[in-house]
Amino acid sequence: MRALIIDDSSVMRKVIERALRQSGLDLTEVTEASNGEEALEVLRKDAGNSQKIGLIISDINMPVMDGLQFLEARRDQQLAPGVPVVMITTEGSEPFVLRAIAAGAQGYICKPFTAEQVKARVAPLIEAV
Amino acid sequence: MTAWQNKQPEWVARLDAAVSEVFEMMLARNCSPAEIADAIAPCISARILFSGVIDGECVLFASESVARATAEALLGIPSEPGDPMAGDAIGELCNMIAGGWKSKLGSSEAGCAISPPSIAIHDSVIDLSAEEGIRRFYSFEGHVFGVHMNF
Repeated sequence: MRALIIDDSSVMRKVIERALRQSGLDLTEVTEASNGEEALEVLRKDAGNSQKIGLIISDINMPVMDGLQFLEARRDQQLAPGVPVVMITTEGSEPFVLRAIAAGAQGYICKPFTAEQVKARVAPLIEAV
Repeated sequence: MTAWQNKQPEWVARLDAAVSEVFEMMLARNCSPAEIADAIAPCISARILFSGVIDGECVLFASESVARATAEALLGIPSEPGDPMAGDAIGELCNMIAGGWKSKLGSSEAGCAISPPSIAIHDSVIDLSAEEGIRRFYSFEGHVFGVHMNF
């Protein structure tokens, strides 16, 4: 499975990739984006791929385009419909969670997190696709 | 008296808890409060701004070697001098500590937004002894870093 990880921190992108691999997910490729705008471009280009991105993990607090704006733009532009999106963020307050869910996020993990928490949130979403 | 002065003991306890939680969960290390030092050697700092119900900032500062130790613990791979990941690791550490601290506030105060971290490299010693606010130092495996919060 291919995954897209969106976070402005290169360290956190690597930490999340490691947690996904520790979760036992069969990741064949990980594509990274440092903000929502870059991620939208990745999804536009991915539309023609035979093996499409099957999981999106996104931060919220990012420069240029944040994670909530990314979710709303993805929904409005109908990019990667049906692909599960999990937010991994320090923003755990209710308004952010509700807005993310309304914009299409299926999972929400607050930093700090453990690999076990990532597995518990992500695995059921992958199995359901 | 300002909001932070009224709530300082409570907010310090929450900061200690947030630091400990981040290190246990993300770095698999114990991290506890350390003796206060007024100055830290030429270092890397990361700054997060709070805005809304609470206006203020959280600044984390560490030497380059502590930043590399943090990157190594986060990534599980060695970090060499000059590693660009070191500054990024300090930024993410500040982000998680500020976010963890915010999440431990009451629901009315937790309505504030936090900015992405801005990272700076300093050539000279940072002396925060005259600064107002909460100033705490923490140690993990002998590596000491500081956190300054001002509201």
